[in-house]
Amino acid sequence: MTPRMYRSFQALLLMALSLFLGLKIINGTLSWYINQRFAPLTFLGIVLLSIMAQAIYRQGKKDADHDHEHDHEHEHSHVSGGNLAFLLIPLAIGVLIPARPLDSTALSTRGFTTSSALVSSGSSTTFFETDAEQRTILDWIKIFNYESDLAPYLGQQAAVIGFVYHDKTLPEGQFYVSRFVVSCCAADGFALAMAVEWPEAASLEQDAWVLVRGPVNSLKTDERTIPIIRAESIEIVPAPDQPYLYP
Amino acid sequence: MLNPAAWQQPPRMPYNLPMESTSPRRPSRTLIILVAVAVLAAVLFSIVPGNLFTWLWEQLNLFATVFLGIFVEAVPYLLLGTLASGLVEIFLDREQMARLIPRGSLGSALAGAVLGLVFPVCECGVIPLTRRLFSKGLPLPAGVAFLMAAPVFNPIVIFSTASAFGWGRMLLWRLGLTLVIAVVVGLIFSVEKDAGKVLKMATPILNPNPIQKTSLPFTEKMRRALVIAADEFFEMGRYLIVGAMLAAAMQTFIPQSALLSIGSGPLLSVLVMLALAFVLSICSTVDAFVALGFVGSFSFGSILSFLVFGPMVDIKSIMMYRQVFKPRAVIYLVLLPLLMSLLSGLVFNYLLP
Repeated sequence: MTPRMYRSFQALLLMALSLFLGLKIINGTLSWYINQRFAPLTFLGIVLLSIMAQAIYRQGKKDADHDHEHDHEHEHSHVSGGNLAFLLIPLAIGVLIPARPLDSTALSTRGFTTSSALVSSGSSTTFFETDAEQRTILDWIKIFNYESDLAPYLGQQAAVIGFVYHDKTLPEGQFYVSRFVVSCCAADGFALAMAVEWPEAASLEQDAWVLVRGPVNSLKTDERTIPIIRAESIEIVPAPDQPYLYP
Repeated sequence: MLNPAAWQQPPRMPYNLPMESTSPRRPSRTLIILVAVAVLAAVLFSIVPGNLFTWLWEQLNLFATVFLGIFVEAVPYLLLGTLASGLVEIFLDREQMARLIPRGSLGSALAGAVLGLVFPVCECGVIPLTRRLFSKGLPLPAGVAFLMAAPVFNPIVIFSTASAFGWGRMLLWRLGLTLVIAVVVGLIFSVEKDAGKVLKMATPILNPNPIQKTSLPFTEKMRRALVIAADEFFEMGRYLIVGAMLAAAMQTFIPQSALLSIGSGPLLSVLVMLALAFVLSICSTVDAFVALGFVGSFSFGSILSFLVFGPMVDIKSIMMYRQVFKPRAVIYLVLLPLLMSLLSGLVFNYLLP
């Protein structure tokens, strides 16, 4: 590979990566990989990559002109593109393996939690004043973690969206409605789950997105009190644009 | 005066095309491996039952999501780090460096440790930048201390830690411990007077034809910096990719729940958090938010050790360290922070349970 080709190949790869990230932003799947809060950073990356690609391409052109003018023998006329090919790996993985957000597969290897201290309690109290039907699974679990007195919340009508997760430890007629919480990127995602009581639970498909409505009650487990929804209605809904919740 | 011929030949820059000597064999070996994998996959496909395949496919999907998560998150930071490195190469010369950094071991280690306040880079960006600073004559203790401390001791990370934990003792201890460990590791490295024995760089004085800074128009200088940054992005990007793949594979096949359920004892909880920091390989700019998830199930000391150790060492940064340091030095760079973070985690667990 001549230096000129090497430079062009570099520029092409940088452009491809920039384009790849750009497409992820446009089709909305970027949020399957990282917390939305970092999207501006990805955008900055896209800009930097294309500027670099342009600079590299011009460098290649300059080198070629220069070599031509002076017609000098350059000792590096054959450089390998092998070490550049590494950048093809993420592109190939991104293009060949269909994109999919974290789902019940991840849940079974990564585990899930029905109660977790996610946000320092001081910052989260305002969440509890929201309308009960507006609360997400994350909000409900926070309430059960931080409120010493649960009485005002019990019996409130919940309307949460999540995906169905059947767990062997649950008795018949119950399932978990679950969402992944992502602070930084998919690597730290973990599932939060709320138990749901629904007689026809078994007929719901794993990973199906559902809107669960019904009053919230508390369920005493070994050491904690966790929320359980006594479902009055369950609707199959399309997957939300944001599959994850952000603490 | 500028000597154009001296720097218009890209291959003259020794750090630009580092793989040349070994490269001719590389593509063919890659090809052989690819063919072998394809054959293996075909054989597997014909003998194993179908549901195993759906299982594998699902694991592969998970692997891809986690891998791209780490990669997409890290790319902008790596780009910023390489860009900083390119700018340093063009705009900072050795004399300025010598003026700025104290000569003594302790002084230079301290200066290196707080240098992050000037260069706000995270653990991916800090590695190319450190190497560049070494090539500009940064003393070894200063560079090592910078490498250890900068991913935490910089404005962005201070702010993100504060927004996760508040301006309280977690932030103070994180900064304090990072500073102490960085300076100690820097001092230990100062014992070795010959930087060539520690650093992998072919020529510590990299640039035989330093670019005369005044003689070029600004845009041209910027373009040079971008070219250097792009070359470095390719070089470091490889290790980021390999590291992210390793981390994603480990996360796919080792259940995190298993790791978390191992321990709550004073020792085990610290070990679990250190292992998690190592495996997760998340960026130091955001790890505080992840650590927040463990408040409640883990003690102050173990979360602190997660926040101190993770930015210094994880799977992807080890991969990238190997590009800058000789293997023996990499072992020190992993073990010293590991032992010191473990020790401080233990001290906190016993004193502040």
